[in-house]
Amino acid sequence: MSTDSWSPYILTFVTFAPLVGALLLVFFPRRDRDVRIFALVFSLLTFLLSLHLPVHFHRPQAGFQYEIDRQWISTPNIHYHMAMDGISLWLVVLTTFLTPLCVLISWKSVHDRVKEFFILLLVMETALIGVFTSLDLFLFYFFWEATLIPMALLIGVFGHERKVYAAVKFFMYTMIASVFMLAAILWLYAHTGSFDFVVIRDQIARGAVPNFPAAAQWLFLGFFLAFAVKVPLFPFHTWLPDAHVEAPTAGSVLLAGVLLKMGTYGMLRFNLGLFPEQARQNAPWIMTLALIGIIYGALVAMVQPNMKKLIAYSSVSHLGFVVLGIFSFTQAGLNGAMFVMLAHGVSTGALFMLAGILHERRHTYEISEFGGLAAIMPVYAASFLFIVLASVGLPLLNGFIGEFLVLSGAFQAKAVYGIFAATGVIWSAGYLLWMYQRVFYGKVTKPVNNSLHDLFGFEKAAVWPCAIAALVMGVAPILWLGAIDPAVQTALTPFAQVVGKVVGQ
Amino acid sequence: MMTPTPTPAALLQTIPQGVDYIRILPELILSLFGIVIMVLDPLVDEKKTQKLLGLIGLGGTVAGLLATWYMAQFPGLAFSNMVKVDTFSVFFHVLIIGIAAVVILTSFEYMAVQRIRAGEYYALILFGVVGMALMSSAVELVLIFIALEISSISTYILAGFRRNEASSSESSLKYFLLGSFATAFFLYGVALMFGATGSTNIDVISQKLLTLPVPLLVYVSMALMFVGLGFKVAAAPFHVWTPDVYEGAPAPIVGFMSTAPKAAAFAVLLRVVFTINAPGRFALLWVAAALSMSLGNVGALVQTNVKRLLAYSSIAHAGYLLVAFAMTNSEDSVAGISAAMFYTAAYAAMNVGAFAVVSHFANAGERYVTLEDYEGLGRTSPLLAAMLTLFLLSLIGIPMTGGFFAKFYVFSAAVKAHLIWLTLIGVVNSAIGAYYYLRIIVVMYMREARKEVPVTPIPFGLGVALAVSMVATLYLGILPNRILQYAQQSAEQLLPQPPASGSVNAAQTQPAAAIARY
Amino acid sequence: MMSNLNLWLIPSLPLAGAAINGFFGKKSSRRAVTTVGLVFPGAAFAWALVVALRFSSLDLPYQEYVAHWIRSGNFSADFALYLDQLSLVMLLVVTGVGFLIHIYSVGYMWEDPSYFRFFAYLNLFMFFMLTLILANNYLLMFIGWEGVGLASYLLIGFWFTKDSAASAGKKAFIVNRIGDFGFLIGLFLLIQHFGSLNFTQVFAQVQPMTAETGSAGLLTAIGILLMVGACGKSAQIPLYVWLPDAMEGPTPVSALIHAATMVTAGVYMVSRSHMIFDRAPMALMVVAVIGTLTALFAATIGIAQTDIKKVLAYSTVSQLGYMFMACGVGAFSAGIFHLMTHAFFKGLLFLAAGSVIHAVGGEQDMRKMGGLRSYIPWTFLTMGIATLAIAGIPPFAGFWSKDEILWQAYSSEHGSWVFWLIGVITAFLTSFYMFRLLFMTFFGDYRGSQVDAHGQAHATHGHEHGHGEPHESPMVMLVPLMILAVLSTVGGLVGIGNRFENFLAPVFGSGQVAEAAGEAASHVTELLLMGVSVTVAILGFLLAYVLYISKPYLPQKIADALNGFYTAVLNKYYVDEIYAKLFVKPLVDGSTSILWQGIDRKVIDDTVNNAADAARHVSDEVRHMQSGNLRSYAGWIAAGSAVVIAYMIWMGVR
Repeated sequence: MSTDSWSPYILTFVTFAPLVGALLLVFFPRRDRDVRIFALVFSLLTFLLSLHLPVHFHRPQAGFQYEIDRQWISTPNIHYHMAMDGISLWLVVLTTFLTPLCVLISWKSVHDRVKEFFILLLVMETALIGVFTSLDLFLFYFFWEATLIPMALLIGVFGHERKVYAAVKFFMYTMIASVFMLAAILWLYAHTGSFDFVVIRDQIARGAVPNFPAAAQWLFLGFFLAFAVKVPLFPFHTWLPDAHVEAPTAGSVLLAGVLLKMGTYGMLRFNLGLFPEQARQNAPWIMTLALIGIIYGALVAMVQPNMKKLIAYSSVSHLGFVVLGIFSFTQAGLNGAMFVMLAHGVSTGALFMLAGILHERRHTYEISEFGGLAAIMPVYAASFLFIVLASVGLPLLNGFIGEFLVLSGAFQAKAVYGIFAATGVIWSAGYLLWMYQRVFYGKVTKPVNNSLHDLFGFEKAAVWPCAIAALVMGVAPILWLGAIDPAVQTALTPFAQVVGKVVGQ
Repeated sequence: MMTPTPTPAALLQTIPQGVDYIRILPELILSLFGIVIMVLDPLVDEKKTQKLLGLIGLGGTVAGLLATWYMAQFPGLAFSNMVKVDTFSVFFHVLIIGIAAVVILTSFEYMAVQRIRAGEYYALILFGVVGMALMSSAVELVLIFIALEISSISTYILAGFRRNEASSSESSLKYFLLGSFATAFFLYGVALMFGATGSTNIDVISQKLLTLPVPLLVYVSMALMFVGLGFKVAAAPFHVWTPDVYEGAPAPIVGFMSTAPKAAAFAVLLRVVFTINAPGRFALLWVAAALSMSLGNVGALVQTNVKRLLAYSSIAHAGYLLVAFAMTNSEDSVAGISAAMFYTAAYAAMNVGAFAVVSHFANAGERYVTLEDYEGLGRTSPLLAAMLTLFLLSLIGIPMTGGFFAKFYVFSAAVKAHLIWLTLIGVVNSAIGAYYYLRIIVVMYMREARKEVPVTPIPFGLGVALAVSMVATLYLGILPNRILQYAQQSAEQLLPQPPASGSVNAAQTQPAAAIARY
Repeated sequence: MMSNLNLWLIPSLPLAGAAINGFFGKKSSRRAVTTVGLVFPGAAFAWALVVALRFSSLDLPYQEYVAHWIRSGNFSADFALYLDQLSLVMLLVVTGVGFLIHIYSVGYMWEDPSYFRFFAYLNLFMFFMLTLILANNYLLMFIGWEGVGLASYLLIGFWFTKDSAASAGKKAFIVNRIGDFGFLIGLFLLIQHFGSLNFTQVFAQVQPMTAETGSAGLLTAIGILLMVGACGKSAQIPLYVWLPDAMEGPTPVSALIHAATMVTAGVYMVSRSHMIFDRAPMALMVVAVIGTLTALFAATIGIAQTDIKKVLAYSTVSQLGYMFMACGVGAFSAGIFHLMTHAFFKGLLFLAAGSVIHAVGGEQDMRKMGGLRSYIPWTFLTMGIATLAIAGIPPFAGFWSKDEILWQAYSSEHGSWVFWLIGVITAFLTSFYMFRLLFMTFFGDYRGSQVDAHGQAHATHGHEHGHGEPHESPMVMLVPLMILAVLSTVGGLVGIGNRFENFLAPVFGSGQVAEAAGEAASHVTELLLMGVSVTVAILGFLLAYVLYISKPYLPQKIADALNGFYTAVLNKYYVDEIYAKLFVKPLVDGSTSILWQGIDRKVIDDTVNNAADAARHVSDEVRHMQSGNLRSYAGWIAAGSAVVIAYMIWMGVR
């Protein structure tokens, strides 16, 4: 089958492959080992399938590709409209890349209701991919909500002590926030007669939407609130630490790795795409919040006694960079934001896996419970250090590229933003290295730790791909930016005057 | 009651034609089956009654559905414009009879477990259905009242069917007293309407009101009728009876009461509100909607008894549904009416399903109906838990379920009609509402059972009932198109036609056409 | 002609070495590790020599494009290398001294359990350092910049089971990050105004700009920000605090990274950016002041230290101060000259110190040494030469470079007699504490106890000693000492007649300016000043001799006499403590009590939970409305209907 005849359907295949896997699992015998293998195979196949996307992606071409647009429901006029551009491309691949690793990392740690676990995981994957690929606002909202249930269940059923509280908090936070987006979507539909992102965008651009100016600000906020909670942007972030601490490792990986990006992706696609004017007007306070998030998140992370909480707050800080970059409306800023999303997905995902590996062995995340592990688990320690360095933004690793671009973008937008945000490079080094020292250096304080086993095969298989990805992304970011850059350029066309000022060698 | 100025054509209609009987065929057949059950009840002995009578009842509903299908071939008025067969009434016939069928399926096991002598139980359900069906097709206020009474009385009795349970009888009594209290309002409203317009035929009234200035009496009568119907649909502030009654009544019956009579009442409300032009009625509905949503959701937050919780939830859902009524101008109304119709269907599907599960878990004497009884069900009986989860998600309004589209249509209609605030109240409510449905899911999956709850296998009947509700819920959630279009079509017919092609003329021509067929 | 030098090989070779040892070293034998660990940097050195030989035939600056790196909009930064006189000097110093220290390490680290890890790190460092030197744009330079930081983090914390070592490593990294913060902002300014970080492109645009003499402008800002970065990397006030702690690392590391090469990166970077500094007098002034102050400040601390490596550490800080002083007065070539000679003698000093420590089994406290010259003559000899060099006694290397700096500080257009004076005082102190070190270590009688030495051996590193008797180091360690000793002796001669300066002239140009100034001020003054600096050096020697050889009881007396000052100096002016009180503690406590417990828990979470509770409370109310009492229900309905009817009537009559 030639790739051209594929291209309209490839997105559908990629999106729903995991769901098919999940459905098959439902009728699968309760033999845990086979279930695991099945899930692994299926997620790997999905990943391989998804590689079709970057391979056949026309990088220089900015617009949407692999487009498919069929009517789903005539009244209201809902379409099955999927497509991807350079912005969504890598987020999808990130999702399909992380899922098999999630399966691996859960190999031993999940031993109860294994089948349900992997079903949820695969359903989750489909929902996540759908969010990034759907261009029909209804479809988007549909997938958006669909991510809620499996994640809430993953946390609530397979989580730790305070799992229920965390799950409910997560669910309610995001649920309440997203209904405002629903209201905004409904308004748009009522006034444009379409859910299609492209159609609506053009109508707004043409000023063809009746009494839009009056509503625009509210619509913008409706979308923004939903996204801000997901990101999470200060001060909507308090659900995140709880969710992470209680979630099973795989849950945390997907949560930090992909779920949060739904928010930033939404801002980039919809807040900027549909409401450029409002985006510009609101940029100052949004950037300020992002800034607070960066510093606040880092400082709070620094003093966390719990490893997972620390990583969670570090996510708040990193995602602050993304938001900052997006609302800088600069080429560099947006490229950086996209890159931070991906980099954070890989390295924080890996960090959570590593934390989970330790939890597997000691059933605690308390940093004080450890110390001197570098002598006992050298490979683990090395891998951990590598990922830590990636996430403190050491050049030649993935973290740096994104942060650098975001910062320079923010700086060009408004110097003071860049300057304050740049303190992030100090904080991140602070909290991560301090944590690393307390866990791995010094003498072994707790005797139990002397018997800890170094990485198992399946754990290496889960963590090392992330490490490799981190390195490749840092050395050859061009591979990613090549596709991102043009897409970002088009995303910025409404902000042309800004872009002009930004870079001009 | 006949139209005051008998034209020859009108006189001609006063003599019932054969086709007239076809237009109430479902009602006739259902009554017939009901009577058969009553007659057989004493004849067959204890042991067999359960199944046999139940099956007859089921057969009755099936026959009723077929009859409806047949009836649908003959749209038009019957019995001197008292009954009107149009897509609108057909829609509700199918819905109501369908609900009855599922409830009966659910009841098989329930009755056995509760050791309730079946007898008239199934008959009452059928009779109730007759009343409700008639409500949906009657265009004659007095007939509506009669139908309302038929349906109410049978439900009063059904509510008290757990004879040996005090709570059940109490619930029945409360329902009866308050119900009659409320229907009195309705009747008085009808009287005033007659006084004001000299007619009790909705079409005639609406035509009249299109032309002549609206007299004060009409306002009052509208108010009174709204009170009566508001009670039936459990809309705030007339909802107070719901929790107690639902808690006491037999679980399957609650599933029945919370859907079928409501659907019928909503059908009437739609006819009345959208055809009788009394300015300001929409404000009433606005307030009622907002109140019901808020009170229902807030009230449900701390409930620990699942039946009671779902009672509050049904109040909230009545609220969402009423949002669709608050449309003022006509093309919005189409959206509103169709949304409302869709909602009744979706709500029926998920709520009947939910109660089917509840009535199974309830077990003998409905001992297990509190949240802690549901702990760990995800483990002990995964299938039922999954089913219940689906229905709850639908009640929350998660995509891919009927509940989502129901809310979606209602709110989008509201937004179209610029009811932004009502919409916001609605969406926020639906978010808050998520909490208490989630609580049930949480206890089922995220807590371990603390007390011993007997797990019984799923009997065939219940299985079918659940399957039907599930399929319906998912179908409405994934391919809502057909139903919605059907609803919209009905909505257009429902609205008062401009006088030129007035429905009175239509009312006269249609039967003529029908006669021509014979 | 654009001959291809394959410069990329120079950084890549050590990287390969690092990779091989890193991945396979654990399982392979020490011999194999050694081979890999030496061959690759050796090859890099060899290739550097080849480059040097072909240098004359190049049209400079020679650039070599390797690969794409970042492309964002019109901004781009690539893996591309840049070679001119300046980078050549650095190249030779780094690869040369680096290679010697690699050899030395074989002997020094031989018994360490994670020998392979050490060489992996060391090679990794070489890779980053060479990237830093050869980069053709600031961003690639920044890779090296951060990379060497990483390597130093890893190597300081090499014996990570020691908490002090781990902390020192972390401290180094974070303090450097603070500097990098400034560096980054500088880069953003460059991008914003020049749209590029490429040296040639940036400087081409800077060249036509006029000097910001009157008011501080863009270039001043950039200059100062870059200097902030340099302060971090090159341990200048106020960011010098990490370097003394960095002595926790194995001594070869101190020699290579914290004396000879990495810490001079700041000087290199500033000199590389001279185009900017030349046009920003204020920035230059800042550089000069910081340099001068640091030189003096660190020297004063140096005189009281008793840990042999700590003394050398502060001396390094002080010497770096000299280099910045040079840059600050626009005499970049002088700075680079001192950088080179310093690499020789300071590297030598550290290696010799290492040899001493090795001899006494890990002891670093000079009070426990003494009289070692009989035990370890070679070490003594080489270290003596190095001391003469750093003290600025002619004709040793240090003399030429330091004298050049002092002269420029006095004579150059940006200079002033103040700088010169402080420089001279520092020179005196330097000579004093260096000879103090020499005397305390090698003269008098051995004060170390063998048991203690033995115990120490375990504590610091894997050295095993049959007996605590001080003993000379193996040849593999001595040979590098000797080579460096030779360099420290003759290395300065290249400076005679400004040969070195003229070599670098194509890069700096400004050298001539300073020289011209020199001509203006008569040769008499030049010689006079030279005399002064030599004298103070000798004075320093004499003082040290008096205090530590002839009248060993005096130091205590003096210490008691100026008690306050002495304790202050002894405790390094309590700077670390002040920083801890001023910054670290408030940050940690504030984050804990205000941000986390305060805002996160008390404000945000409580608000949310309270909202939830409120909802539940209302819900309770609603529930109680449900009295179950029939009459009240009827009442509700009646009331409701009343309202409805009243409303509709109002609608009607209205």
